[in-house]
Amino acid sequence: MRNVPALLRRELNAYFASVLGYIVIMFFLVVMGVSFVSIVGELLSRGSTQLTVMEGFFSWFWLPSLFLVPAITMRLLAEEKRAGTLEMLMTAPVTDFEVVLAKWLGAVALYTLMWAATGFYIVILRHFSGGQTALDLGPIFSGYLGIVVIGQFLIAVGLMTSAMTRNQVTAFLIAFALLFLYLIAIWFGYYFTRGTAAGKVFEFLSAFEQMNDFQRGVVDLRPLVLYASGTVLALFVTTRVVESRKWR
Amino acid sequence: MQPMIKVENLTKRYAGVTALNGVSFEVQRGEIVGFLGPNGAGKSTTMRILTGFIPASSGRVEVAGLDVFENSLEVRERVGYMPENNPLYVDMRVSEYLKFRSKLKGLPRVERKERIPEVLEMCGLTDVSHRIIGQLSKGYRQRVGLADALLAEPDLLILDEPTIGLDPVQIRQVRQLIKDLGKRHTILLSTHILPEVEMTCNRVIIIHHGRILASDTPDNLMKTLHAGGLIQVEVRGPGSDVQAKLRAVEGVESISAKLIEDGCVRVAVTPKPGDDPREGIYQTVAANGWTLRELTRTRTTLEDIFVQITHEEDEAEEERREQRRSVLR
Repeated sequence: MRNVPALLRRELNAYFASVLGYIVIMFFLVVMGVSFVSIVGELLSRGSTQLTVMEGFFSWFWLPSLFLVPAITMRLLAEEKRAGTLEMLMTAPVTDFEVVLAKWLGAVALYTLMWAATGFYIVILRHFSGGQTALDLGPIFSGYLGIVVIGQFLIAVGLMTSAMTRNQVTAFLIAFALLFLYLIAIWFGYYFTRGTAAGKVFEFLSAFEQMNDFQRGVVDLRPLVLYASGTVLALFVTTRVVESRKWR
Repeated sequence: MQPMIKVENLTKRYAGVTALNGVSFEVQRGEIVGFLGPNGAGKSTTMRILTGFIPASSGRVEVAGLDVFENSLEVRERVGYMPENNPLYVDMRVSEYLKFRSKLKGLPRVERKERIPEVLEMCGLTDVSHRIIGQLSKGYRQRVGLADALLAEPDLLILDEPTIGLDPVQIRQVRQLIKDLGKRHTILLSTHILPEVEMTCNRVIIIHHGRILASDTPDNLMKTLHAGGLIQVEVRGPGSDVQAKLRAVEGVESISAKLIEDGCVRVAVTPKPGDDPREGIYQTVAANGWTLRELTRTRTTLEDIFVQITHEEDEAEEERREQRRSVLR
């Protein structure tokens, strides 16, 4: 693990030395800004409801994740393979896992940073609501926690697809397909099997249902364990794929 | 003393293709060895195995007495490697990149501060150390790759085609740099440019179709094959007389002559192996009162040897294939 800090620093620099980091954050903030405005407008026109602004806001978390996570992860390993820089990286005294871990940490850091920027909305709400809008910081904090917990797993999946190809577009498309399956297909499964035993499983797995809990301030240990194990598995597979040059 | 590199019976198979077939060689400490072969001969594959990037299918590979597969990290700490096409992070600045690489190579901070300016100086990069690598010319990028390989003062430098894509001036600079480095490091470099090994290396390993065909000093290779080359003589004198007398000179194996213009003969003399009959030829010409217009020895170049060896191997291969075909019929 000695080399992780140096590798991580290189990863973070890479996002902001190229335009990629800025584009991702800009795109994200435009999408989130538009949905924020429409949610606030909607609530104002409807008068007082049980729904808070941040709840409406968090329920849209999957949309940017579906597009931006693959955009962040697609180049991580695919580009290193295409450009041949993986060879120079792996012939330094560095283990494959250190490289994979640093790339995952870097992407999670960027993801967290871009979501952290939306914290500004809370300041805006505070300022203009004059205390009328419920701004309970507890659920907001747990909502952000949920977003990071789910997001870091999606990033691990994206990183895994990036290890499988040397083409960034392919990496993007496979990651998109996997994330789509995970987010949408499980929710559909839940929708059609509600009330049955299978429905219970789907409900537990569904990111939307988990997010519902998180944004209400319910931090359940089970999804935390689920995502931690999912990430460990995905990073393990990624490392094996990177190593696969050795047994092919 | 333990050899720097010891390769025994190395074989590498990719899906269906045998890239290396029972390769064995040794490189002693302090040697500069040139790995010579046409494209696709297995040079890069051998180097990738030596640096632990890919493993061998079978055979033993040791660097400084350490097995490259068992002790991969220790070996990588001792080797400075410049891969084929010299891949670099093009979005980084030169000094930034070298700092990153020296951290990966485990140089302590104090040493790093000294070593980076040192290699920048050595590779002539001091003036461009703040430039972004992607904006540098190919020659400079090549030097960045070389500087990276030198960072940890490795025992062994492995350079895959270090002069490819450079202009003649840059090639000369890089070759000089390699020669200087050879005083302190063991170097294994690959190339398909022949004059390169002739100029920089103490030993040449010729590899073709995943097999080692020859391994010797450039001089010895030239001696064993086509000893001495041909001698060209041009003489003003009576044609048949010149031929007869020159054929009789001590050390001459055979001659072939051609009348070129009024009263002049051009003779190609093949000397006996190990003999140099040039003085005898001069004395014969002078004693007969003819005029000597030219006396040149055309040296066999490594290029001739290379073409000859690989060509012989290709023919043998073709013959084997032919035999197999006729057996099948």
